[in-house]
Amino acid sequence: MQDLKNRIIAGERAAIAKAITIVESSREEDIALSHELISELIKSPGHAIRVGFSGPPGVGKSTFIEAFGSYIVNKDFKLGVLAIDPSSNFTGGSILGDKTRMSEISKNENTFIRSTPSRGSLGGIAVGTREAAIILDAAGYDYIFIETVGVGQSEITAANLVDIFTLIVGPGSGDELQGIKKGITEYADMFIVNKYDGDLATQASKTASDYKSALSFYSKNSDDIETQVVLVSSIENKGMDEVLDTFDKIVEFNKANNRFKARRESQLAYWLEEEVRNKILLRLSKEQGIPELIESEVQSIISGKTGFYSASKNIIDTFLGKK
Amino acid sequence: MTKDKSKRLSDWEKKFTKEVKIETSQEFFHETDEGININPLYTQEDLLDYTFNDINTLPGEWPYTRGPKASMYTNRPWTVRQYAGFSTAEESNKFYKKNLEAGQMGLSVAFDLPTHRGYDSDDELVMGDVGKAGVAIDSVEDMKILFDGIPLDKMSVSMTMNGAVLPVLAAFIVAGEEQGLDKKVLSGTIQNDILKEFMVRNTYIYPPEPSMRLVADIIEYTAREMPKFNSISISGYHMQEAGANNVQELAFTLADGMEYVRAALSKGLAVDDFAPRLSFFFAIGTDFFMEIAKLRAARTLWAKIMKDFGATNEKSLTLRTHCQTSGVSLTEKDPYNNIVRTSYEALSAVLGGTQSLHTNSFDEAIALPTEFSSRIARNTQLILQNETGVTNTVDPLAGSYFVEKLTEDMCSAAWKIIEEVEELGGMTKAVAAGMPKLSIEESATKKQAKIDSGKQVVVGVNKFKNPKEPKIDVLVIDNEKVREDQIIKITNLKKNRNPKDLEDCLSRITDMAKNNSGNLLALSIEAIRARATVGEVSKALEDAFGRHYATNVGVSGVYGKFFEKDAKFMDIQNKINNFEKENGRRPRVLIVKMGQDGHDRGAKIVATSFADLGFDIDMGPLFQSPKDVAKDAIENDVHAIGVSTLAAGHKTLVPELMKSLKEIDKNNKITVFVGGVIPEQDYQFLYDNNVSAIFGPGTSILDSAEEVIKLISKKD
Repeated sequence: MQDLKNRIIAGERAAIAKAITIVESSREEDIALSHELISELIKSPGHAIRVGFSGPPGVGKSTFIEAFGSYIVNKDFKLGVLAIDPSSNFTGGSILGDKTRMSEISKNENTFIRSTPSRGSLGGIAVGTREAAIILDAAGYDYIFIETVGVGQSEITAANLVDIFTLIVGPGSGDELQGIKKGITEYADMFIVNKYDGDLATQASKTASDYKSALSFYSKNSDDIETQVVLVSSIENKGMDEVLDTFDKIVEFNKANNRFKARRESQLAYWLEEEVRNKILLRLSKEQGIPELIESEVQSIISGKTGFYSASKNIIDTFLGKK
Repeated sequence: MTKDKSKRLSDWEKKFTKEVKIETSQEFFHETDEGININPLYTQEDLLDYTFNDINTLPGEWPYTRGPKASMYTNRPWTVRQYAGFSTAEESNKFYKKNLEAGQMGLSVAFDLPTHRGYDSDDELVMGDVGKAGVAIDSVEDMKILFDGIPLDKMSVSMTMNGAVLPVLAAFIVAGEEQGLDKKVLSGTIQNDILKEFMVRNTYIYPPEPSMRLVADIIEYTAREMPKFNSISISGYHMQEAGANNVQELAFTLADGMEYVRAALSKGLAVDDFAPRLSFFFAIGTDFFMEIAKLRAARTLWAKIMKDFGATNEKSLTLRTHCQTSGVSLTEKDPYNNIVRTSYEALSAVLGGTQSLHTNSFDEAIALPTEFSSRIARNTQLILQNETGVTNTVDPLAGSYFVEKLTEDMCSAAWKIIEEVEELGGMTKAVAAGMPKLSIEESATKKQAKIDSGKQVVVGVNKFKNPKEPKIDVLVIDNEKVREDQIIKITNLKKNRNPKDLEDCLSRITDMAKNNSGNLLALSIEAIRARATVGEVSKALEDAFGRHYATNVGVSGVYGKFFEKDAKFMDIQNKINNFEKENGRRPRVLIVKMGQDGHDRGAKIVATSFADLGFDIDMGPLFQSPKDVAKDAIENDVHAIGVSTLAAGHKTLVPELMKSLKEIDKNNKITVFVGGVIPEQDYQFLYDNNVSAIFGPGTSILDSAEEVIKLISKKD
């Protein structure tokens, strides 16, 4: 374990890869090892800025990461990418094709690109993504990009993993605009309007100004930086400098206002709660007699012997040993 | 129908159903891959009510269903045009001359992959591919050697070139010029069909839009300057090779043709100025009558399409085509069967009325053809022409109830797809949206599943296996030697040219490419004359256009559907589930193509069917170097890498991969298996390089999946 830790901190590619496998694994001994490893690595934090990229399928997230990632590594930054691939097959297997859109950055010495099938887990975030980011941070990466598919509640989970949360959108029909409700703007630090090129350039630019004006209606907390909107073309490499500048601006602002650290601390609380919730659920499903109790209570409700809420109370009380 | 006829028909049905012991003859319909119903019997009644096919027409007469010319083979048989090229220009030239002496009538040049992709032989990126699947051409000097002693005013030359189409065609023109010939007398064809590259073959260089401009520039230039030269060969061949069914092949090819016509019109040309020089290229597979009907349908529909474009010249209205027998129908198992397959396919092409034909050599599922296998392939055609009498009558199958009806069915099925494409805004847009690519991949996966599940018989592969597989000799290319020779030639070329002239030409190319005006072929000719290399001209264009990278999404669920409740399929799924329980994750396999070979049908089918079985599959991008693959594999901690190789690059690329894996992680336990076209002579070499398994063409996916899971279970 100590050896693995040292190799990770030394930035050894194979060690980082193995460690991510361990934190993603469902095998008992890996889970134990994972806990030990992460507790150790947290003691040697790096300086990585974690950025989340979310957005609907087909909007060009991977293509943007390819273009922007190339821009970043050309500035001598080390870049880690965790791509959560939504494609899951009905038989349980999956085809991870994100990397085919990242052929330039994936061959660069200064990148580490890892795809993970989401397997439909909560919020489009895979098991172990948070831990994988900790590993890459300890390994000395400057930026860690987390690419997720935005569906439903996933933005909240994804946003709780990163220092900067961005939503990538395409030249819109206006449908997406209706999605800008207060909820999302609280989480998104930035909108990136992609496909500012060719036939779509005019429409993209109009979409960007629509977003800007829509966002102005929603005031954030006064000590928050306003949500940024940047127009880019991944094909023509337009707007890459502006994206990086905006990252710097957000980080600087948040650091100056003590928001940077506070955000990470509140995320810690979020994940602790998640962990507790998940572990309780796991225990609940494995605790002696509980699954059977749930089954019999369901039957009681159906046959009208018990009410729904008293059944629920009975299960919880039994689990907590109050009965 | 008269009463008598109708009674006889119902009598027939009674007899038929009694003989085959079924209720009605309808049950005996056979549904083809195309979704067309084939009846057990056709009669005169099937000749009625056609929308497209008019059975009362004659050869050389609108809509040319029966042939573009009145006389067809009775006057002159089809051209025996064998596609060949390998190693250096010197070697290929010798081979061509020998073939011409032996009865071949036209040349068809196969270029190596680096040339296709616009790289010179000395480029690090293309180490494993130089001279392998075709001849290496780096400059006009190579082109001159290639045609040394072959008079280009008398010999028609077909060139399969799409990506680096400008410098290669320019080199051909300058080679003619330096043989003392005006370009007006050069005859032949350049493939120049970029749309299908984006769909299936993947030897493109630039993004779709600028690529379409190059096509238009060539059509414009040849229309004005080279009256005997076909400016494009609109190709369905590679679609069928990638797994398209016949209707898809026909429809997408004609839709491509329409797009090229529009591109040329946008250059200000009148349709009859260039349309007579558009030519076609189809694959001929084993479905005998379907292939015949396809060629007849192609001519019928093209006539209609061109009429709608306002063409009036008869040559604009007639579709003239080259055909090649199917490569994908060839098997590695019991390879002499391929001679028989190819013979039937050749007969199909001839009965369909092709203008020229390539017959494959029986060993092409394993390696490049040898002199022996090439001779048999060529003789297959010579026997057809000289011994069988098929050339004595024009369109001998006309009037066949079945063939006429099938021709009509093909027309209407294809027309439906063409209309769909048109609704998307034409082929460039359809290609950008990925529509044809996905539907072809789906068809390919279905075909594979049909074979693996035994629903489609392939003799010697899934039935009637030969217990004693014959050993055959294959052609071996010393790739290192070819590369060294080419590097010497490039160095000499670069020493003996005027760098100032050259720089001037190249920067003008970049400027013109940026400005979207003027003709880039004219300028490329100047550059090639100034001794620019193929790579340099390509680079000058790339500076303006950029290089195109394809994304690689595949179908899913198509393969698995064929195996519901199949015992073997479920057994493998169980093994995978057990693997997951023991290892904490699913077996993870990276499927890659390395080098410049873009034929990814095999890789895609393996990826989608393995995923259906329950593997997690990483798809690598195309054109990766072994080093890129190693990094990808280690970072994603895969259990295995599956290398798909079809262009003979494996002997260089696989050892490189092994070395790169060790460099990143000397203790890596990654299992490497290889699939594709690999001669048996190379097996031991690959095993010696720690390859764990080799799967040749015709291996069932289920067998290979089972083997892979066994191999990685041992290690983890």
